[in-house]
Amino acid sequence: MPNIGDLVGRVIGLVGELIGSSSLRLGIAPTLVILGLLLVLLSLLARPAGRWTPGDRGHLARTGHLMALAAEAGTEAAFSLGTAGVARGTRALDRLQTLAALPILGHVARAAARGGVTLRVTANDPVAVLLAEQTVEQAHRRMGTLERLSESGVTYVGEGRPTAAALALAEQQVWGGAFVAGGLAEEGLLLLHGMADGATATSFGSADVGQAPMLLLEGEGTLVGPELYQTPGDIRSTVQDWTAAFTANRLIWLTVAVLVGASALLLLGVPGIPAFFTGR
Amino acid sequence: MRRSIPTVVVTVIGLILLADFIVANPTLDRVAGAVSEWIMLLAAAAALTGAIALVATHGRALLQRGTDRIGSAVLLLGLALMLIAGFRPGSSGSSDPMTRWLVAALLAPLIASLFALLFFFLLAAIRRGLAIRSRETSLMVVVALAVLVLLLPLGGALGGWLAAAAGWSLSGPIGAVFRGMLIGVAVMGAITAARLLFGVEGTDE
Repeated sequence: MPNIGDLVGRVIGLVGELIGSSSLRLGIAPTLVILGLLLVLLSLLARPAGRWTPGDRGHLARTGHLMALAAEAGTEAAFSLGTAGVARGTRALDRLQTLAALPILGHVARAAARGGVTLRVTANDPVAVLLAEQTVEQAHRRMGTLERLSESGVTYVGEGRPTAAALALAEQQVWGGAFVAGGLAEEGLLLLHGMADGATATSFGSADVGQAPMLLLEGEGTLVGPELYQTPGDIRSTVQDWTAAFTANRLIWLTVAVLVGASALLLLGVPGIPAFFTGR
Repeated sequence: MRRSIPTVVVTVIGLILLADFIVANPTLDRVAGAVSEWIMLLAAAAALTGAIALVATHGRALLQRGTDRIGSAVLLLGLALMLIAGFRPGSSGSSDPMTRWLVAALLAPLIASLFALLFFFLLAAIRRGLAIRSRETSLMVVVALAVLVLLLPLGGALGGWLAAAAGWSLSGPIGAVFRGMLIGVAVMGAITAARLLFGVEGTDE
């Protein structure tokens, strides 16, 4: 009859075999950098150094006022989760933008629930629709307005990036507030223009660098580039949620220091710098 | 408890894929490969769910007053056409000539015509931008016109000078701005991904 000792010995042997048959894909230095950044810096060491007063990114601080005006005027608010989606996204950065837009949707949904304004959310991805439905329901639950949940709606507009843009252009509705947050591509201008047309106020955000000019042209409030990821920390109430912005600042300075330092070493003729950093 | 199960799943799956990225191990490779296949299956199931939801939504819209019945009817007709072309007896699915014809003759021209509107909507966007932020938009328009001039297909010495200036501006100031933004986006994306991975970042507060 096998005993506990044999079992433990076999498990340890198995783990040892697994470790023995493993090797680091990238080399020691890049692996330590990745693990050090992800596990240590981002999760354990990142703490806000002091009170941080953000600017009103994307004009989201006035969302409550906007919803109050929309309620008086009897208009609805529209929110588009961009055209990247989650399941349909081909790049991880596109999917990440959709996920980063959900707290912004939550903020808008809470303001809409508080103001009694109907919120129309659109997405071109079924998983994004599901996440948006949960976000809107959570917002109504927090505000104690679950009886108004059925008035708001999340709509799956169909597959494809141009579909969302075409729908935004075709809809002839005056929105009390129009919001876009998430991944955009070449159709971004069409989507933004369709959402902005007739809207009382707009707030558009995307981390796609190529669409930055379109956001600036069409949106009153804008979240350009990394601001889309920083904004969830802005609109949350606890100090701990501001760690992302502080961490980003420190990482950006670290990245700049590494770039400058490595460039200086290369200029001084120190060989092997690129190989050291890439593990090749 | 309800919210912690998805968090645990995200963390475990994320750590497996992260470990596969860092460590070369045959067993881990197989596990990560299986997980990636599950993700693709889930994405396919999500697409099917979305199609069913689309049919239900627009079918309901056909029966209600005050909705865009024509739009819903066109959507359902297009959906039916593609499904019939792909699933009819003897069809080879997405590579079937009828399916490919429908895409090439209907879908592609529609998308092309939509993107052909970009230039005109860009002009409208500039007009809106001048109303919202006149100084910044004016600067953007001036720079855009300067880049247009630099990219003119001219020959001779002038064309050569313009091409050199265009190359310098794209690799110099414009490239620097885009690289800076990309670094910022990459850093913030890594932070957001790490916070999602470890369940620190909720999808909504």
